[in-house]
Amino acid sequence: MAESQTFDVLVVGGGATGAGVVRDLARRGLRSLLVDRGDFGTGTTGRYHGLLHSGGRYAMKDAAAARECIAENRVLRRIAPASIEDTGGYFVATPDDPEDYVAAFPAACASAGIDCEEIPVAQALRREPALNPAIRRVFRLPDGSVEPWNLIDANLADARNHGSEARTYQRVVAFEREGDRLVGATLLDERSGATTKIAMRFVVATAGAWSGQIAALAGVKLEMRPGKGVMLIFNQRMTDTVVNRCHKSADGDIMVPVHTVAILGTTDVRVPDPDVYEISREEVAALMAEGEKLFPDLGRMRLLRAYAGVRPLYQPPADAQAADNRSVSRAHTVVDHAVRDGVENYVSIVGGKLTTFRLMAEDTVDAVCAKLGVTEKCTTAEAILPGQVPGKTYWLGHRLAEHEAEGGGDAGLLCECEFVTREMLDEFVAENWPCSIDDMRRGTRLGMGPCQGGFCTFRAAGVAAEKLARGPSGAGAAAGPAGNGAQARPAAQFADELDQGLVGYLRERFKGTRPIASGRQLQELWMVLGMYVGTQGLDSLIDRRTVPPAVAPAEVTDARR
Amino acid sequence: MPGADVVVVGAGLSGLSAALSAAQSGARVQVLAKGHAGTHWGSGGLEIAGPAGVATPREGLKRLAGTRGHPYADLAAEAPAALDWIRAALAAEGLTFEGDLDTPLALAPTSIGGTRPVAILPTAQAAAARPWVGERLIICGVAGFKDFWPDAIAASLSRPRLWGGAAGPERVTAVTVELPGLAGRHNLNALELARRFDDRVWRARAIDLIAAALESAGRGSGPGRVALPAILGLNDHAAVYDELRKRLPLAPFEVPLVTPSVPGLRLYYALRSALIKAGGRVRIGEVIDHVDRQGDRVTAVATEAAARTSTVACGALILATGGIAGGGIVAGKDGHLDEVVLGLPVEAPEYGEWLSADAFDPAGHPLEAAGIRVDRDMRPVGAGGRPLLENVFVVGTMLAGQRYLRERCRDGVSIASGRMATRNLAAAVPAGASRGAWAGVRQ
Repeated sequence: MAESQTFDVLVVGGGATGAGVVRDLARRGLRSLLVDRGDFGTGTTGRYHGLLHSGGRYAMKDAAAARECIAENRVLRRIAPASIEDTGGYFVATPDDPEDYVAAFPAACASAGIDCEEIPVAQALRREPALNPAIRRVFRLPDGSVEPWNLIDANLADARNHGSEARTYQRVVAFEREGDRLVGATLLDERSGATTKIAMRFVVATAGAWSGQIAALAGVKLEMRPGKGVMLIFNQRMTDTVVNRCHKSADGDIMVPVHTVAILGTTDVRVPDPDVYEISREEVAALMAEGEKLFPDLGRMRLLRAYAGVRPLYQPPADAQAADNRSVSRAHTVVDHAVRDGVENYVSIVGGKLTTFRLMAEDTVDAVCAKLGVTEKCTTAEAILPGQVPGKTYWLGHRLAEHEAEGGGDAGLLCECEFVTREMLDEFVAENWPCSIDDMRRGTRLGMGPCQGGFCTFRAAGVAAEKLARGPSGAGAAAGPAGNGAQARPAAQFADELDQGLVGYLRERFKGTRPIASGRQLQELWMVLGMYVGTQGLDSLIDRRTVPPAVAPAEVTDARR
Repeated sequence: MPGADVVVVGAGLSGLSAALSAAQSGARVQVLAKGHAGTHWGSGGLEIAGPAGVATPREGLKRLAGTRGHPYADLAAEAPAALDWIRAALAAEGLTFEGDLDTPLALAPTSIGGTRPVAILPTAQAAAARPWVGERLIICGVAGFKDFWPDAIAASLSRPRLWGGAAGPERVTAVTVELPGLAGRHNLNALELARRFDDRVWRARAIDLIAAALESAGRGSGPGRVALPAILGLNDHAAVYDELRKRLPLAPFEVPLVTPSVPGLRLYYALRSALIKAGGRVRIGEVIDHVDRQGDRVTAVATEAAARTSTVACGALILATGGIAGGGIVAGKDGHLDEVVLGLPVEAPEYGEWLSADAFDPAGHPLEAAGIRVDRDMRPVGAGGRPLLENVFVVGTMLAGQRYLRERCRDGVSIASGRMATRNLAAAVPAGASRGAWAGVRQ
C-alpha cells in the first residue's frame, strides 16, 4: 500500500457541522480532511425544514439556546447571505394556544435579545391571507429560511482555500489506535470499493445521530438519542413568511417557505437507529390536523411528499431517563473522549441545530486547538464566505430577474419549476465533469420544485449524455458506434448510471409520496406512472438481474432532493 | 331544457368510443368532459393486451379473459370486432394503423431510451416494431427541443439487455438537426414543432435538412431505420409522414414523447371528428355539478362551467371519467375512494395495501385494480351483483379488476367496453325516455 497521507485533523461527517468544523480548522492553520460515507449534506442537514431560527421557539423554555440562535442568525446573515432568504417570521396565537404563554412571550424574547414586535392581526392577514383568520395575536421575529447545500459548499470552498480537503463517499471503517491515541484511519470508497489509509493527529466526529457508530469504531461507547422529525412538503408557498404557533413547541406547528415550496414541520419521536425508521399515515394525518390550525385550507392544497430527518440529540448520562424527546436539550455538547473514555485525541460534537452550526464548530475547534497547543483565534464569524455578496440575501425571483436583465426572451428552460436553463446545466457540467444527475440536481436545484423532477430528470440525463458523446468542447459529431470500439463501453456504462439516476430518483419520490398518497397527489402519481411505465417503458431500464435496492423506510429522504 | 338520448361524461378513448358507437346507432349523443384525457398523455397506439410473457395481443386477451375479475372476462369476445370497428372509423379520418391481434409483440424504442412492447401502432410508428435483421438505427433529434435527447437514447439502446433477448439494431447512433428558422430557439415543444410540419413549404426544407444529416451520418453504411421524435405534423400528418418516407434514405418512425403527446392528440381529434360527423356533440370544460335521478334511473346531468350551471336531460348516462388517473375516482385522506359523479361504490384493496413498497414493482400496485364493478351490460352493480341503476353504464379505466399499466390493455378495454355499453341502449332508453330538445347545433 502506498504511504498514507497525514492530516492534522480527520473530521468524520459532512453535514453543516462537519463543513463548519473543517473550515474553522483550516482557517486556524490545521490541515484537515473531511469525509462522509455519502455525499455532503445527505444526512440530517439535508433532511431539514430549512428554518433559520430567530430563537423565538426557545425563548420561553431555554433562554441560552434562544440567545445562541439570535446571535448566529445575525452572523449567518452577514457571512452567508446567499444561503438565506429573509422571509421574516410570525409567531401567531391561535384560539388553541394558552393565554399565559402568549402574554409572557414578548418579554421572554426581549430578555433573550430577540427583536419581537407585535403587529395587528389584520396586517398579518393582509401579508399572509392563507393564515387562519381566527388568530388572536401576531408577533414578528427575524426568522428566515436557509439553503443547507449552498451553505455547505461555501464552507468547504473556504476550507479548500485554506489548504484543507473534503471527500465524499469515504466511509471510515476502522481506526488504528496506539495506546491512548487514534493515529490512523481506514477509508472505504463506497463507489469503487477501494480502501485507503490515512494518518492524523486528531479526530473530530461531526456525525450527528451517527456519532455513536463512529465512537464504536474507536472502541468508545457514546449513546445518542436520535429523534425522528417528519415534515410535509406542499406544492406551493401558501406563505412567504415563516409561521410558528405561539405556544410550547409541539408537532406540526411551523411552516417554512423554501424556494418554490413550503414545508410543515415536525414531529419528534425517538428512534433506535438513525438509518431505520418509517413514516406512517397516522403521523401525516396528525401533522395535517395541527397544520390546519395555522392554515385552514391546508387539506385542499397538494401535498408533494413526506420526509424525515433524525435529530442528533444527546443526553448526558445523568438525566438519561427523560421520557420525552422534546424535553432533551437542543443545545450542543462537545464530548471530550479524553476525560470520558481515555482517548486523548478525539472529540465528538453532538446535539445542536443547523442555525448554530458555526458556533458548534467554533466550540469544537477551540477544544481541538487547546489540545494541540494552537493559539489562533476563531475568525469564522467575521470572514464572509466565498462567493457571497455582502447583504445580498437569496430572492426567489433572482434567476428570472437575471435572465430579464440580460435581455430576456427564450431561456431554454430544462427545469421549469426552478428556472434551470440549458446554459446553467451546461456550465455546471463543464465545471464538474464527470458528474451524476444527483450532482446536477444539488448544483442547480433541478427537479426540486413542484413537479419534483417528473419532467426534467431525463432532460438532465440528455445533457450529460451529450457531454459524454461530444467531448468537453461540446463540438464534434454524434456518438461513436455502439457495441464496438473504445467509446462504446463507457457509453454503455454511462447509460447504466443514467438509468439509475432516473429510476432512482423516481423511486425516491415515490417513497415520499407513499405515506401521503391521496387526492390530487395520488392522481399525479398515477399520471407519472402512466407516462413512465406505460408510454416510456421505464421498466426496460431497470436491470432486474441486479439485487433490487433496499426498500427500508430509511430510504425516505428529504423532499428537496 | 336541452336533452340527449345519451350523455357521456369523459372525452378519452372510452368515452369517445362509446359516444361514437351510440351516435352511429342513431342516438343523440352529448359528450361532457372536465378536460382532456389519457389520449393526450398516451402513445397514440392501441394497446389491446400485452401482459408479461405473452407473444401476441390475442394471446394476451385470452390470458386476461381468464384472470378472475378482469374486465376482459366479459369483454374479450367483443374486443376483436371493437378493434376492427374503431380502426375503420379512424381510417376514415385519415389515421391508419399497422399490426393486428396476431402480430407478435415487439420492443419499440421510447424517448427516455427504454423499450416497450407494441403490436398495433399508428403507421408512422410501425417501422419500430419490425424485427431487426442486421440494420442500424439512427436516433435523430432536433436542436433546441428539450424532450428528445438523441445521445442519451442511443447510449441506452446500445445495450443488448434493452432488447429483452431479441435481436436489436446492429448499432445505434445519434444525430441532431437544426430545423429551419429555429436557430437559437430553446423552448420548442412537440406541439409547436408538429404545427410547423403541417406547413408544406417549411416542411419541405426541414425534410431536406433531415435527409442531408442522415446521409452524412450514415455514409457508406448499410440499410437502417431512423427514429424521430413524434412531431411529424398534427392536421396534415399523413402527408408529412408520406413525404418523409419517400425522401429519407432510411425507414423513418416516430417515437412517442412525454406530454403533450402529438400521436395522442391525433387520435383524439380523429375520434372527435368522427363523432361530430355522426351527429354527436362534445363540450369540454364542463364539471359535473350533480345528476338528477328518478328511482333507479338517471334523468339529467347538471354541469358547471364559466360560472353558470347548465342541465342536459338524458335517457342514459355513460361514465367514462378515467379512474384515479382521470379524476373519476378520488382518494380521500382517510382511505375512502369516492366515485365523483354518482357516488358509486368503488371496489378496492384494503387501504393498507394500496401501494407496493417499490414504485416499479413488476406486479404493479394493488390500487391499480380499483374501480367500479359492472354487469355484462356495463351497468354498475352493488354487493349482490344486481345493477344499481338501470340506465347508467361504466367504461374504460373506471372498470375494476384491471392493472392496465402492466397488462397493457387500456385501449382494448376502453374500446370494447365503449361498444358494449351502447349495445343495449335501445333497451335502456325506451322511446320518449329522454325529455328536452336536441338543439342540433354541430360543433
